[in-house]
Amino acid sequence: MKKSYVIKRILYSIFVFGIVMTLNFFIPRIGVEDPAERYYPPQGNMSDIEYEIIKQVTRQQYGFDVSTWQQYLNYLTGLMEGNLGTSFRSGSPAVTDLIVDRLPWTLVLSVSTLLIGLIAGILFGVIAAMKRGRWQDTTLLNASTIMVALPGFFIALILSFYLGFEFEIFPAYTDPNMVSNFDWSLSAIQTVAENAALPVLSMAVGSIIGYAQGTRNAVIAVTNEDFILTAKAKGLKQNTIRYKHTLRNSMLPIVTSLGMSISGLIGGQVVIEQIFNWNGMGTLFLEANNMNDYPLMMGIMLLLSGFTILAILITDLIYVLLDPRVTVGDKR
Amino acid sequence: MKKLPLGKRLKQGVIKRIKGIGLFFKRVWSHKQGKIGLTVVAILVFVAVFAPYIAPFDPYDVADRTLKGLPPSRTHLLGTTINTGQDIFSMLIYGTRVSLIVGVTSGISIAIVGSILGVMAGYIGGAVDSLIMRIVDVMLVIPTLPLVIVLTNVFGRDYWIIIIIFVALGWTGLSRTIRSLVLVLKNSNYVKAAELAGASRWHIMIRHILPGTSHLLIMSTALSSAGIMVAEAGLSFLGLGDPTAISWGKMLADAQGGGALLFGAWWWIFAPGVGIFLAVFSFMRIGIVMEEIMNPRMKQTSSVYKVFKNLNSRYIEEVFISMDDHQKIGVDTTKTVEES
Repeated sequence: MKKSYVIKRILYSIFVFGIVMTLNFFIPRIGVEDPAERYYPPQGNMSDIEYEIIKQVTRQQYGFDVSTWQQYLNYLTGLMEGNLGTSFRSGSPAVTDLIVDRLPWTLVLSVSTLLIGLIAGILFGVIAAMKRGRWQDTTLLNASTIMVALPGFFIALILSFYLGFEFEIFPAYTDPNMVSNFDWSLSAIQTVAENAALPVLSMAVGSIIGYAQGTRNAVIAVTNEDFILTAKAKGLKQNTIRYKHTLRNSMLPIVTSLGMSISGLIGGQVVIEQIFNWNGMGTLFLEANNMNDYPLMMGIMLLLSGFTILAILITDLIYVLLDPRVTVGDKR
Repeated sequence: MKKLPLGKRLKQGVIKRIKGIGLFFKRVWSHKQGKIGLTVVAILVFVAVFAPYIAPFDPYDVADRTLKGLPPSRTHLLGTTINTGQDIFSMLIYGTRVSLIVGVTSGISIAIVGSILGVMAGYIGGAVDSLIMRIVDVMLVIPTLPLVIVLTNVFGRDYWIIIIIFVALGWTGLSRTIRSLVLVLKNSNYVKAAELAGASRWHIMIRHILPGTSHLLIMSTALSSAGIMVAEAGLSFLGLGDPTAISWGKMLADAQGGGALLFGAWWWIFAPGVGIFLAVFSFMRIGIVMEEIMNPRMKQTSSVYKVFKNLNSRYIEEVFISMDDHQKIGVDTTKTVEES
């Protein structure tokens, strides 16, 4: 029963990824007859013949001189080999190389944000649920009421203003030499941690409060369920009820929302990286956007969508593992 | 039954709608949070409409170089910018227009598109249902902000294009929620009765099912307007909004680029930020009050809906979706049991 669900779920994810791949190929080709025009938009001071020559060169350079279907097939076979295309940047670097250079730096931010958000959020949420109605709970409620309406980039600006410029606790801009000087030595890791502090903090504030409120509400909802009453009536120990029954069941909505929140996290990170000048995929994406570098933009989009699909798939599978109704049914 | 002439029917319909809208305001007003939300929204609308009369200075005026970087004072209520000497209070007032127009227009359009597609998916079912739901699944995995950036690059940066893009990407969560509600309504007695009486599919969808989702629609309009105001501010902040207009996001971007952080011009950062906060906060309050009216159970502690109440706006739709997924897993497992 569980196995067939898992297989079905994986096949469906692959199907969704296939559609995303196709969209990625066609979006830059909307509205133009020739993808070369995207690379080199027509400019006023250029004669038609000159423009035609430039387009001709571009077409040959990037393989736009065959039919669209042939281009699509080339794109798909390229993807199978892990080749996301050639960037429009000078020197025509491979998109894959550009992304691989930046990927670890982006992951540093998102993974630490996610971990801090989850750990602190669940902790605060459980505390608030246990101290229901007391100051811990009301503080959380008020904080989350305000937090939902504050955009992440405004929080980032405020933190950068006070912690970065006024009190100079953390660097407000990422050290431009951080990436080139990184050599796994202790001092290099310390530099990264210092530079990452503000970006991570500004993203984590929102997710800590979001997860805390979610956990708190889920725990309270579960506490009022009938099976908790049954467990109490059976005379189970307080701790057994708390950890084995209440907490386990209240993790379910958190886990399911996790996969979805990955996509929001990735989107928000584009802005945060820009504010702190962090050398990640977000800034790479904005650079690509400014240069009309479509292969690079679409490559990043494909990768981010792939991450999200994977995250949703994994959380769905964890959900099946966590849900006692499903696992217990399987054992029988 | 005797059919009334068209004019009279229209008049009755209009009266009914106006009464409905009045009732809606009354119900929202009866909650404390609703009062806050409605008041702030009313003030914002007033400010947006009469911006030229309220603003003490021309927000586009960069001519006077002596006014650079003044802190808040009696003449310049919120100070001036460091690099151009524009009056920030006036800019803030003009910025209300962009936020409200983009937010509310997209919010309403999302409600229209989302409800049509959701009702169709839920009621017609079959191929239509799976097509719409597959589109939703695909759109959910593509990160929104990067996709919006790509689309503005392809289609341009006018505000109406940005609104269309927001609507094209924003309907998915709502239509999924509406669909699950329609699946419940579909089996209700009055729909069955209408089917037996020989009413057409479209008649049932428009007259019987759509009204049943109206509370959800108003709630989603308020919440998605709030969400889109944040998204628009983010887009303008990245310098990718309409370059000709003054918006709060663009003000923040100017503040960052113009050295507000470096020179300690806190008023330049806080003014647009508080503007965004107030607009988003008030719309969200209205949405949340609608949610409470819709699910009175939510007030009591033992409801699952309590989980959604104060979650981050970004997660509200997603939690609804995960609820849907939850149901789907249940359905899937039972199906496989029957098969094996």
